[in-house]
Amino acid sequence: MYQVYFENFLFFIFSSVLIISGLLMISVKNSVYSILFLVINFATAACILFLLECEFISLLFLIIYVGAIAVLFLFVIMMLDIKFLEVPKDIFKYFPIGGLIGGFFLIEIFLIILETFKSNPYAIFNMGSNFTNSYTNWYCKIDSMPDINVLGQVLFNYYVIQLLIAGLILLLAVIGAAVLTVTSVSSKSKKQFFFKQISRSYKNILVI
Amino acid sequence: MNNLITLKNISLIPEFFLGLSLIYLLIFGSIISTHKTRPLIQDLILKLSVLILILSLFLVFNDKLWVIENLTFNNTIIYDYLSFFSKITILVFSLISILMIRFYIKDQKLNQFEYTIIILLAVLGFLLLCSANDLITAYLAIELQSLAFYVMASFKKKSSFSVEAGLKYFVLGSFSSALFLFGSSLIYGVTGTLNFEDFKDLFLNSRPKEDLADSIEFLFGSSLIYGVTGALNLEDFKDLFLNSRPKEYLADSIEFIPFESDLVQIASLFIIVSLFFKLAVAPIHAWSPDVYEGSPTSSTIFFAVVSKLSILVLLTRIFQYSFHGFIYNWRYYIVVIAVLSVIVGSFTALEQKKLKSLLAYSSVSHIGYILIAFSTGTFEGIQSMFAYILIYMLAGSCVWSIFLILRLKSFHFKKQNKDLTDISLLVKSNNIIAICFSIVLLSIAGFPPLVGFFTKMSIFLSALESSMYLVSVISILASVISTFYYIRIIKIIYFENLLVGRLYYPLRFIETIIVITLFFSFIFLFINPTLLYLISYKLSLLGFF
Repeated sequence: MYQVYFENFLFFIFSSVLIISGLLMISVKNSVYSILFLVINFATAACILFLLECEFISLLFLIIYVGAIAVLFLFVIMMLDIKFLEVPKDIFKYFPIGGLIGGFFLIEIFLIILETFKSNPYAIFNMGSNFTNSYTNWYCKIDSMPDINVLGQVLFNYYVIQLLIAGLILLLAVIGAAVLTVTSVSSKSKKQFFFKQISRSYKNILVI
Repeated sequence: MNNLITLKNISLIPEFFLGLSLIYLLIFGSIISTHKTRPLIQDLILKLSVLILILSLFLVFNDKLWVIENLTFNNTIIYDYLSFFSKITILVFSLISILMIRFYIKDQKLNQFEYTIIILLAVLGFLLLCSANDLITAYLAIELQSLAFYVMASFKKKSSFSVEAGLKYFVLGSFSSALFLFGSSLIYGVTGTLNFEDFKDLFLNSRPKEDLADSIEFLFGSSLIYGVTGALNLEDFKDLFLNSRPKEYLADSIEFIPFESDLVQIASLFIIVSLFFKLAVAPIHAWSPDVYEGSPTSSTIFFAVVSKLSILVLLTRIFQYSFHGFIYNWRYYIVVIAVLSVIVGSFTALEQKKLKSLLAYSSVSHIGYILIAFSTGTFEGIQSMFAYILIYMLAGSCVWSIFLILRLKSFHFKKQNKDLTDISLLVKSNNIIAICFSIVLLSIAGFPPLVGFFTKMSIFLSALESSMYLVSVISILASVISTFYYIRIIKIIYFENLLVGRLYYPLRFIETIIVITLFFSFIFLFINPTLLYLISYKLSLLGFF
């Protein structure tokens, strides 16, 4: 029982961080900050998936969303060099329609929650709330092997050769990208030597 | 767990050797070529890769594992005579092609050493595809091979034609890979397996609703009758069963339970389309002339010669072995596609001015003939298919080698494409090469004293034996039309009405040796076609079991 409460506690923490970072992501003016809040959003979502014991999906979240997509967003924003803009305050102009749509979905979510999560009469310690589903995690009692472990065992026992071929494909992709993009030595771009530039003065330019 | 690759998994030793040595080659090349003096090591790496190919050919030859026909790596790798012989063929022809492109690379200044390493990776993909026994392995091998091909097509970075060819090949090829994946996932969803053996076990008896069910019922029923009565004569039956009615009893005893297989047939159609894209047959052939034309010729020789056999081996494994139960379904598509590609390949090649795209269209029509033999689904059809593809590879490597080694003196030699007029009056400047070229072209067209005649004839015979009369008549007529443009090349070589011929650079020793050997193999195989027929017959037997 203690474990269940602890998990619920962590779940509340992570979900509140998720909601707050999601709100901040769309309300912050600087776009770099909003990307960083997006990263926090993904990371907390991965933590929630960890709590639900979906380790593989949560690691995929971290690797793909945080590792690839968010970094790509950051890279694009830094390349575009968006100036810090003072957005005119027209939140209230769009508030009615946005509030209408948001309220509609909020009511829908509450209806679904009320439909599915009934209060459990057999649960004695349910923190005084009707919506807390106190449960025994039978899965955790049966199977102690995390699913990454299972996937790894299948992959390394039965699909060794396929894994090796996939590695060779990645190697080939790296070689191909490097070969097709790296320019040859002769057309090397000219470098800037700072000390030469700084040490230039009008005295040593003209050689008579 | 510390011996993942044990000695019992010896069936992939050549592939492991090839993969490991190309990684060593990559490390070696990247250490040497990033030295301060920037040495050019293209030629060195090319010679080393020739050595690697010869050693892996030796490794394939060395252990005759095909006598035990083992399945290894959790039944995903098969090693039978089909994979054994196709591996040998692919290694030999890629060896020939690498030897032929050596001086072309030097002339075209394709100086990055990764080129041969990418070629070796493509060869590794072919080898794995030949022994793939499950759809994941087949997909990964196809992907390895075609990814290498995309890079090879766009390797000449300064030529915008080459870059365009690479991009076109990449976009269309990845589309066809997606089709393959979609078909495989549908099959996995229906059957729960990806293994060719399991497909065979599942679908071998799922034949056809009416006629075969009737015939099985008839056979089973008559054997039962024979077991009961000891007679097969109708008169005896009349005497025995004049007053009894055994038919109802027999009909009740036979339960014919068909497997639900409509979705699998649609999925196999997706796989057919994807593999036919890789083979470049008629409705989806349009990329091949562009890609052949744009990419450097040293890559084109691999696209045209080496790449077809392993895809055909995979097609044989999937459709003649696993899905042979659906032959009444898939052979219709394949017959239509085959006839269409024979016609398209014969008629569109008449208009081509460039030698490369002419050869591309001619390869479209040849794959059409191969598919006619493939669609018969009989032993003779498979046998003639393998005989034809072997001769096609032989002729293709000969023609493309001659194409590669003729370097014009008068033009700037950086020009990589050849018009038909570039070889006009070749007979005046180099008599022997002209004879080789024209005789190989005659063999491709199917003239009698050459081996191409036998293989084409066996294809038409196998089509006629399975009573595809209209198909064989149409394809024979198309083959007569396609003879025209082969003879036109010979006319340009011999009888062009020009005052001045072209001058070529002298040929190198090793190139001439290879071309002459290939040329004599045509005459040898005409005198002694038994070799070809025995090998292809053995291939066709093992394609089934």
